[in-house]
Amino acid sequence: MDNPHHKTFDQELAASLSRGRFVAVTGFADRVVGAIRTDRRRRVVIRWSSIATAAAACLVAVLTLSAPSEEALNRQTFALVAHDESAQFADLLGASADLSLLSPAVEKSSVAEVLNAPGS
Amino acid sequence: MSQEEPMLPDDEDDKRLMALVAEGDDDALRLLVHRHHARLVGYLRGEVGSQATAEELAMEVFIRLHRAASRWRPEAKLSTYLIHIAHNLVLNEWRRRGRKPTTALEFAAEPGDSSQQSARRVAELDEAFQRAIAQLPPEQRTAILLVVQQELPYEDIAEIMGVPVSSVKTWIHRARSRLRELLKDFYGNQ
Repeated sequence: MDNPHHKTFDQELAASLSRGRFVAVTGFADRVVGAIRTDRRRRVVIRWSSIATAAAACLVAVLTLSAPSEEALNRQTFALVAHDESAQFADLLGASADLSLLSPAVEKSSVAEVLNAPGS
Repeated sequence: MSQEEPMLPDDEDDKRLMALVAEGDDDALRLLVHRHHARLVGYLRGEVGSQATAEELAMEVFIRLHRAASRWRPEAKLSTYLIHIAHNLVLNEWRRRGRKPTTALEFAAEPGDSSQQSARRVAELDEAFQRAIAQLPPEQRTAILLVVQQELPYEDIAEIMGVPVSSVKTWIHRARSRLRELLKDFYGNQ
């Protein structure tokens, strides 16, 4: 058998909660639409930032991979030596300053002879 | 803020509006928010005990709904889906705060209520119920709000809370018992 006190309690609980069931807020829909537009713009910026970052990474990778290898640099060095391009050779080695100090005392032709001599 | 009860949304119309929202139609979105926000804010207010937090969370629910609009499949009623998102946000809010909400709902009596005894009793009773509900364990509070305030069936509540129906029934039974205990000053020892 139903307890009448329980029935009253249940009814009053339902009545109390149902009074707070709908809480309409004036202008809420406009606020939400505004927030969603902001969110949409933010996500577009994030998406394009990601694309730009990925593109930059690809560019760096391409430049790095297309740079001359160590072996190619060696070949270039030997070729320069063979053609007696002493100034370029010095630049390549980053020792142009040092060689410029020596240049008054060293004849270019003698350097070429030494470097081109068999067994050098 | 007004307490008027909006027209209950039509499921088929919700589906149509969601399809439009997925295509970026802001007017459809505005209409959906207008239809559903009052119920959502009502539920969230019962959960978190604060009008401002309830509105913030309701806003986040609609932002998430908008993000998911293109992936949304109308397997459940939109209103249930919204409550589902809201419940997850409530759980996140509790985790973020590092504690369960224990504060009672803000309560404001209508001016002039004090002149009428029956109105005063209703106001006192509402306040007492709200305080008592705030003291319930979170899962009991959610279950009792969803079944009594939102009038959802047990199956929907179980889906929203991600638990078996039997757990929902148990929580509701315990919540009622606990509320009776907390409100014994109003109802006596029953």
